[in-house]
Amino acid sequence: MVPVDGRPGCAQLIRATCRMAEARGAPWIGVHLDGPRPLISSRAEERRLSDNLLLTEELGADLIRLNPRSRNEAREILTLARTHQVTHLVLGRGEPNWRTRLAGSVLEDLSQGDLELIIHVVPTQASAEPPTAAPARPEAVDLGNLGIAIGFVALATGVGFLVFHYLGLADVIMLYMLCITAAATQFGRWPTLIASVLSILALDFCFIEPRYTFVLTDIQHIGTFAMMLGVGWVILGLAERIRAQTRLAQNQERHTRTLYHLGKVLAEGGSVAAIQQRVVSFLRQELDLPVALLLCDAKGRLPVPAGPGLRLEAEELEIARAVMERGAPVGHGTEFFTQSPCLMLPMPGTERPLGVLGLWFTAGAGAMPASRLDLLIPLASQIALALERASLAEDRTEARIQAEHEQLRSTLLSSISHDLRTPLGTITGATTTLLNPGPQSAPGDPKVLLGTILQESRRLLRMVNNLLDITKLESGLVQAKKEWAAIEEVVGSALSHLEEQLGARPVSVELPEIWVPMDPVLMEQALINMLDNAIKFSPPGSAIEVRGWVEGDRFRLSVADEGPGLPPGEEELIFEKLYRGTGRPVTPGAGLGLAICKGIAQAHGGTITGRTRPQGGAQIVIALPMDGVAPDLNPDFNS
Amino acid sequence: MPPEQPLVLIVEDDSHLRQYLTTTLRSHGFDVAEATTWEEGKRMALGLTPAVMLLDLGLPDGDGLSLARELRAVSRIPIIVVSARGREEDKVLALDMGADDYITKPFGSSELLARIRVALRHAADLSAPVPMVVEVGSLRMDFASREVTLDQKPVRLTKNEFDLLAVLTRHAGQVITNGQLLQEVWGDSAKAHATYVRVYMRSLRKKLEADPTRPRLLLTELGIGYRLKPDLD
Repeated sequence: MVPVDGRPGCAQLIRATCRMAEARGAPWIGVHLDGPRPLISSRAEERRLSDNLLLTEELGADLIRLNPRSRNEAREILTLARTHQVTHLVLGRGEPNWRTRLAGSVLEDLSQGDLELIIHVVPTQASAEPPTAAPARPEAVDLGNLGIAIGFVALATGVGFLVFHYLGLADVIMLYMLCITAAATQFGRWPTLIASVLSILALDFCFIEPRYTFVLTDIQHIGTFAMMLGVGWVILGLAERIRAQTRLAQNQERHTRTLYHLGKVLAEGGSVAAIQQRVVSFLRQELDLPVALLLCDAKGRLPVPAGPGLRLEAEELEIARAVMERGAPVGHGTEFFTQSPCLMLPMPGTERPLGVLGLWFTAGAGAMPASRLDLLIPLASQIALALERASLAEDRTEARIQAEHEQLRSTLLSSISHDLRTPLGTITGATTTLLNPGPQSAPGDPKVLLGTILQESRRLLRMVNNLLDITKLESGLVQAKKEWAAIEEVVGSALSHLEEQLGARPVSVELPEIWVPMDPVLMEQALINMLDNAIKFSPPGSAIEVRGWVEGDRFRLSVADEGPGLPPGEEELIFEKLYRGTGRPVTPGAGLGLAICKGIAQAHGGTITGRTRPQGGAQIVIALPMDGVAPDLNPDFNS
Repeated sequence: MPPEQPLVLIVEDDSHLRQYLTTTLRSHGFDVAEATTWEEGKRMALGLTPAVMLLDLGLPDGDGLSLARELRAVSRIPIIVVSARGREEDKVLALDMGADDYITKPFGSSELLARIRVALRHAADLSAPVPMVVEVGSLRMDFASREVTLDQKPVRLTKNEFDLLAVLTRHAGQVITNGQLLQEVWGDSAKAHATYVRVYMRSLRKKLEADPTRPRLLLTELGIGYRLKPDLD
C-alpha cells in the first residue's frame, strides 16, 4: 500500500511500490486521503495529484479514496490496511508529519501484535520543480458581502448607542463580537477582516473613554481589541474549513451523480458506435460543452474525423497525439497547450489506448475549475472501459459469425458433394448398365433406366442452378432490376415452368390486376422455389393456392399448401441455408430453395415470412415494397 | 437419300454435344454439317447455305454473337443460338443481334426439334408471298380486313393490340423481344417503353385467354419477350 498525494516525489514512490508489488506478484493499493485541501495549495500540486492518481490506476493498483472522519489520518490508514490485509507499506523520506506518526503508530500496533506490516521507506528526490508557493486562487472580493458586513457594524454601533446607558461596555463589545462572528461564518475572509477593524474603530470612537476620539487611555482595551481580532480569526478559520468541506462534498456529490448517470448511460450497452453517440450527447448536456470522442482504429492510430460536425484543427490534432503519447490530459488548463480551448483526456484500455475524449471550453464557458479534471479523468476511464467492453463484444460476435460462416461452408460443401454425387452416381450406373446389359435383362429395362437418367439429370440441374443462384445472391452480384411487372405474367411463367411437377394438382390463383415494381425474372424464380417447396411438402394431388394482395404499402404474394405446415418454432429457420426440416423424412435438394427466396425478397427491399395457416398447411409470403408511380393502366392511350 | 432433307449446320466446339446433336438430328431426318470454330462456321454457313444453323456462343476463336450479326447482314439463314449462358440479357442480346431463337443448355431433344421446325417454317414463310390470313390453333387473323376470331368468335382489338398480335402471329413459335415488339408496333417513337408492351399484353390476354395465369396462346418469356404458342401438330 502506498499513500498518494500531490507532493513532488510521490510519482517516484508509486513506481517503486509498483515494482515491489510486481516482484512479489502481489496486488497493491494506492490510498489517497481526500481531505479538505489546505487553504494554500498550488495549481501545480493539484495537477500532480491528479497525475499521480492516474498513474496509480494505470500501473494496475486499486485506488482507494478516503475521506477521513477524524484528524488522525495515521489511524485511518492503518484501519484500511487491516481491512485490506496489507502486508507492506511504502513511505517516502521527508513525509509530512502525520506519516511520521503513521510509522510510529504502526510500530505501536505491531508491538501489540495486532498487525503484521513491513514498512519500506523510499528515498525520494523532490522533483526538479520546486513547490511553488503560489497564492491560492484569488478569491474575488464580493462587494455586496462587504457592504452587508459594514452594515452589521453600523447596526451594532446604533444598537450600542441605544443600550450603552443601560447595559455597559462589556455588552456592547459582545454586540461587536456577534457581528464579527456573523461576518466570519457567512462572508469569508475580507468582510471578516473589514468588519473586525471597523468594529474596533467604532468601539474605540463611540464607546471607549474618551469618547468620540480614537485616543486609547486604558491599556486593558488593547487586550480587548486583540481578543476581538483573535476570535474573529479563529471563527473565520473554522468557517473556512467548514465551507471548504461543504464545497468538497458538493463537488464530490456532483461527481458521483455525473458518474452514476454516465454509468447508467453506459450500462445501456449496444455497439461501440451507439455508446459513442450516447456518451457524446450525455456529456454535452451534462457539461454544457462541445464534446467529442475520438476512437483509435484497429491499429491504434487515431482517426482524424470523429463526432458529428467536428473537424479538428492542427493544434487539436497535436493535442490528441500528445495525449496518446503521454497517456495524460493535455490542453486547456494543463501543463501543455494551456491556452488552447480544447482539453483532451486519454481513454486508457487494458492493452492499448482506446482513444481520446475531447472537450472544448468555449469563450462563454470560462476557465475550467481544477476540480473538473478530477471528475473528467475517471469519466474518461469509465467510458474507455465501456467502449472496450463493447468492442470486445463486437469482436466476439464477429468471431462467432466467422466461425458460423466456416461451419456453414463446410456443411454446405459436404451437403453439396453428397447431393451432386448421388444423381451423378445414378446416371453413371444406369448408363453403364445400358452399355453392358446383363444376360437376363428384360426388354423393358432400358426404358426404365433412361427414365431414371433423365430424372436424375434434372435433379442435378436444379441443384446446380440453385447453387449458382444462392452464390450470386450472397455475393451481391444480383441486383433486383425493378420494373412495373404484370404479376399474372410472373405467376403464369412460374406455373408453366412447373407444369410437369404440378401434374393434375389443382392450383387456385387469385391476383389483383395491378402493376408491381419488381424484377420479374427474380420473382419468378422465387415463386418457382416457393411452389416447388409446396409441392414437396404436401401430399400428391392436394391443392396449392397462390394469392396476391396489397396491404398498406406492400404487395404480398403468398403460396399455401395443404401439407403438415411448418414445424412450430422453426418459421424463421426454414429460410436458412441447408435447412431441411427436422423430424420429417429427408427430401432431396440442398435446402437452398427458400434461402434463395429470402435472398430475392431482400434484394427487393422486401421480406419473407412463413407460418402454418389456422386451417392447416404451410403459407410462405413475400412482401415487396410498392414504391413509385404505377404506369398508365389505360391500354388505349395511344390508339 | 431424299433430296428434300434439310441441312442443319452445327457450330459447336464441344465434341460430345456435337455428337449428341448430330445423332439426334440425323435420326429425325435432317442432314447435318459440323463446324467447330468461328471461322469454319462462317465459311460453311456461306458456302453450304444450310436450312438452319445451330450456333454455340462460346466458340474458341470468337463470340458466336458477332458471327450471328455478320451472317444476318448477308444471309437469311435461320439461326438458333445454343448456349449455356442462361441470363436473360444474353438471350435478348442474341435475339436482337439477329438470332431467330435461343435455346439454353441443357435441353431435351424434343424441345430442340420443335424450335428447328418453327425456324424452318418461318424461313419457308419468308420466301412465300405474305399471306393475308394466318391461323394459329383456334386463332385466326385476317390482315386485310383486320379481323380476329378466336374459336370462330370475333374478337374486338384496338389498333395497337392488333399490331402487337400480328407481329407475334407472323412469328408464331418464335420469341420476339420487347425491343422488337416496340420497334414493330410503335416504330421509333421516343415515348415507347417496355411497359407499353406489358400493358397491351395484359389487355390482349383479357380478350384472348380464359385464365391469364395459365395462357394457352400468349406465352411470356420473362425478361426477354413474348412468344405465340406454335401450332405444330
